[in-house]
Amino acid sequence: MKNRSSWFFAPAWLLLLAGCASVVIPPPETTSPSGTQQPGEAAVIAPVPKTAMSNNRAVIALLDQAQTDNESGRREAAGSSLERALRIEPRNPWLWLELAQLRLAQGQYAQAITLAGKSNSFAGRDSLVQAANWQVIGQARVALGDTAGAEQAFKFSADLAQQAKADHDADFKLK
Amino acid sequence: MKSPTPPRKKSRFSFKLPGRPVRLIVLLLLLGLSGYIYYLDVTIRDAFEGRKFALPARVYGRALEVYAGLKLTRGQFVGEMKSIGYHENPQPDQAATYKNTLNGIEFTTRDFVFGDGTQPPQHLRIEFADGKVSLLQVRGSKDADLPLLRMEPPLIGGIYPGHNEDRELVRLNQVPKMLTATLIATEDRNFYTHWGIDPRGIARALYKTVTGQRIEGGSTLTQQLVKNFFLTPERTLTRKANEALMALLLELHYSKGEILETYLNEIFLGQDANRAIHGFGLASYFYFDRPLDRLEPQEIATLVGMVKGPTVYDPRRHPDLSLKRRNVVLQIMENQHVITHAQFVVARRKPLGVVERAPAGTSPYPAFLQFVHLQLARDYREEDLHSEGLRIFTTLDPFVQHQAEEALQSRLAQIEKRHRIAADTLEGAVVVSSTQTGEIQAMVGGRDARYAGFNRAIDAQRPIGSLIKPIIYLTALEDPQHYTLITPLDDSPLVWSQPGTTDWKPNNYDRQFHGQVQLRTALAQSYNVATARLGIALGVQHILDKLPLFGIERQPPPFASSLLGAFGLSPVEVSQLYQTFADGGFRTPLRAIRTIVTADGKPLQRFPLNVEPVAPPGPVYLLTAALQGVVREGTAQSLVNWLPAEMNVAGKTGTTDDLRDSWFAGYTGDRVAVVWVGRDDNKPTGLTGASGAMTVWGEMMKNIQPEPLEPVMPEDVEMVNVGPVSGLRYDAGCKSGALLPFIKGSAPAETSPCDTSSADASAAKAEAKPGANQDTGKKNWFQRLFN
Repeated sequence: MKNRSSWFFAPAWLLLLAGCASVVIPPPETTSPSGTQQPGEAAVIAPVPKTAMSNNRAVIALLDQAQTDNESGRREAAGSSLERALRIEPRNPWLWLELAQLRLAQGQYAQAITLAGKSNSFAGRDSLVQAANWQVIGQARVALGDTAGAEQAFKFSADLAQQAKADHDADFKLK
Repeated sequence: MKSPTPPRKKSRFSFKLPGRPVRLIVLLLLLGLSGYIYYLDVTIRDAFEGRKFALPARVYGRALEVYAGLKLTRGQFVGEMKSIGYHENPQPDQAATYKNTLNGIEFTTRDFVFGDGTQPPQHLRIEFADGKVSLLQVRGSKDADLPLLRMEPPLIGGIYPGHNEDRELVRLNQVPKMLTATLIATEDRNFYTHWGIDPRGIARALYKTVTGQRIEGGSTLTQQLVKNFFLTPERTLTRKANEALMALLLELHYSKGEILETYLNEIFLGQDANRAIHGFGLASYFYFDRPLDRLEPQEIATLVGMVKGPTVYDPRRHPDLSLKRRNVVLQIMENQHVITHAQFVVARRKPLGVVERAPAGTSPYPAFLQFVHLQLARDYREEDLHSEGLRIFTTLDPFVQHQAEEALQSRLAQIEKRHRIAADTLEGAVVVSSTQTGEIQAMVGGRDARYAGFNRAIDAQRPIGSLIKPIIYLTALEDPQHYTLITPLDDSPLVWSQPGTTDWKPNNYDRQFHGQVQLRTALAQSYNVATARLGIALGVQHILDKLPLFGIERQPPPFASSLLGAFGLSPVEVSQLYQTFADGGFRTPLRAIRTIVTADGKPLQRFPLNVEPVAPPGPVYLLTAALQGVVREGTAQSLVNWLPAEMNVAGKTGTTDDLRDSWFAGYTGDRVAVVWVGRDDNKPTGLTGASGAMTVWGEMMKNIQPEPLEPVMPEDVEMVNVGPVSGLRYDAGCKSGALLPFIKGSAPAETSPCDTSSADASAAKAEAKPGANQDTGKKNWFQRLFN
């Protein structure tokens, strides 16, 4: 099993309480017009380094490949790399989150919600990945026209992000 | 082969050139025949166009992904390399060669076109330690670590158009000149000059036949091609005439090159069980395991020699005849200056050199291939599947498949011996899938895994007995106000009347009634009466209505007896049911196909994968804890003979009336597997779920070496220490008691001191938590969020 707390000490770890970044895969343009922050849109999580998502180099290589494919618009290929990574670490919540984000970008909103839920089921105490999952759920709900549901999801996301920050600070002090 | 033509027939062809009126009659006859010729023309052009590119779909198993840290032994890896045609070679720098070294293997991969692009060949080094890959490197002037290697996937079968014809399409410019020259020299020396039929050839053949020198066929390659299109045993003159006409017509429409290329791909060159080997491209692999351009002269001679009679000159079945024929062809090659005398002398001395290979038929995994067929129809659009040369990448894991086949075979033989059951009367089926992705890794349809007939994994619908029970318990646990793992259930005699059926009096397997039993115990011991009463209280229809959610489309009869599994399901349907329990309440349709790529490398659009949450995670977590109780202390406790207790396996035995069906369904951290054992004639076997199917399951899983089951505890679940019998909450710090998961707020409020004098104390403190990786004390912010 990977050490779930290792990412807390990754130098690139950052938490922003506003903004439009996402973990790896950008949200569809419809939900977040560039430059405007939607009311109720909650904490967004800065990129998490891949070394924090897994300590298996094969998985990291596949995440790199998925990112390259995704950035050049080859979403199917990105999906197939993520599925390969999931076969190696089927219980890694970060990988399920990546797949949820990909489905979101592909406009498969119901699947994005389910996969984020599946990621949550493996998340244990990892508030940061949960915050990102609720972010995906919120965006998918916006796209599906469920404004109230989206508000609620963004609220969860913000609370979880704060929790993650508090956990991080606490851990940092302990160090 | 042609039989000698009786001399009297000769007279029919030897009448003298007739006079003018006769010529007129002939002309009229020809006109009358024009319609017929037109018909032949359409027929032969259809055949030619249709067969020109008739390529089978190729079906591949999963590609092995190799990386440092992977659980893999040297033996497993060598087995994998052999299954994809690698050869040992002291200089492993050619594609598909390897060499054993002190700590591992040096090898070179082939290039391979995957669904997501081409992977070039790589020179690699792998090392093993403690059953794992310890090093993976690219060999070069400076060695470099490789994070991940995807091996070429093993070819596990084909889906053939037409009559199970298989071929490896070759272009004329890929075919060695020596082969075409030999073919023409042996079969049709005037190929490039005749018009489809060769009067000189026919005359020579007739002459030689009649004078008794040699029995020879006068067919041109074009005629042979026509004959091959319409393979029939009949050999009449009409047929010959038709063939000749069609040959002329073919030559009118197509170039010599097109005809030769089609011939090279079309000609029948052997039979592999129910698969017909067509064309030199595939024959080259089938007999010599090498592409055409790497064949040596004597090997080319062997293949060309087979054209005369692929069955008679089959080098595997009739090596002597084949060798003789090969040498005749080599002689022709020398005479016609295809090879030099020196080449001839060397080639003649060589053995046949055919590779050993057990006939694989259309697939060594017929049960799995059948499932692939079903899924093609389910997941892809009909019209997409018509394009030819599709490459189908599937989920089959040959290693897991092998363990499943072995375990079924060896266990059934042992069970028959031990239980004094007549040999070869038991049958069985196995399905193994990956827990989180729903990919089918192995499917065995019967004891003879190679038999491509009745597939019990899909086609046998047998009563599932107690395998249905988890649905009832899950339904109860979804109502934490009324049901927890320790809720007492009533296991006293029950009579149930329902309109439309006779009174139902369920009985327990041990013919006893057990009074008040805890819910978890009723499931662990598989008490029928307590379960039936629970199901009736929850509502028979309410429970049966849940089955479609879990992917079971078949509707059981709406009677209470269905609560005890008095209806049939196939092993693969049971797998789907348990998949959802294993995956925390997410239903992922079981799948056998990862992706399909067209001949030009484009992935086919598939119906999107549809993961669905169908049961809340908390109650599913509790159910898993209860199913682990089945293995730890219930009907499946003898599983410990195969798998250590630390595996935390969750499972359920199933036994049906008069011991006709023996089932076991269970899951580990990474795999779900279902085994059925019984008889095809549905007679009693004398086996329970535990004495039959469970032993197959255990034997198989022991060899697969699964991951332990450690589900992540959902946020709405807490662990509480209770008296194992009293069901009262114990004070913190109690050394005895049972630590059980509860949906938060549902654990007993009433506490009792650690009563060391009670019956509870005699039971050592047991922990019934599905996973062991969660601490329980710390935070409840998630709960704050949601409550």
